Amino acid sequence: MPAEEASKQKIQNHRMEIKVLFFGILAEVTQTMFRHYRDVTSYEDLMHRITDDYPELQHYNYRVAVNFEITDEPPVLKNKDEVAFMPPFAGG
Amino acid sequence: MTPDFLVNGPITGEIIADYIARMEKSTEQGAHSLFLGQVRADIKGLKRVKAIEYSAYEKMTSKEGENIIGSLLKEFEDVKNIRILHSTGVVMAGKISLLVVVSAGHRHQAMAACTRAVELIKERLPVWKKEIFEDNTHEWKGNELA
Repeated sequence: MPAEEASKQKIQNHRMEIKVLFFGILAEVTQTMFRHYRDVTSYEDLMHRITDDYPELQHYNYRVAVNFEITDEPPVLKNKDEVAFMPPFAGG
Repeated sequence: MTPDFLVNGPITGEIIADYIARMEKSTEQGAHSLFLGQVRADIKGLKRVKAIEYSAYEKMTSKEGENIIGSLLKEFEDVKNIRILHSTGVVMAGKISLLVVVSAGHRHQAMAACTRAVELIKERLPVWKKEIFEDNTHEWKGNELA
């Protein structure tokens, strides 16, 4: 990738807007179904801001999906990604 | 066309009858296995469940539903068609909230794949349930504390 483009992408990555969704009991305890986080710099940054905003999350089991895919490793986020906090499934 | 995996409210007798009527249009399958999930009026202490309120991550449900069907069609060669329908919103006790229909050439794979489909739905479909009691209090299922 040419240096100019790489640097442009880096700037874009530093200004990511991420949609965050909460489901099941997590929507109830956070009193939030979804919200946007702006100027997100990384997945770690996003998680830090979310757990600051919603410290009660630490009391619950949940898995995180990025763009509808459950992720166990911390992913590399892109602008406009969708991050979902999901308690254990209970369908059926 | 992507099938709908979710329906708002209970899965009515009309919906189920429509699935069965549609089977008559195809003649390559000789066996259908059908599973219905029903809302139980469980007793919890002094309280009785009057309804379950379901919520789903709709976009992920479509993706996972497709994944479940894809993996079953690969695993069971005789299976021709699989339909999955799950309720969202409030479903009163006694009503149906899950329908799985597996159609195959012969009975063994129809039944085995239907059992497997229900297990995969429980494991992978991003759906949550809140039990609503007769006194209007509620309790989330699967909400164990960390």
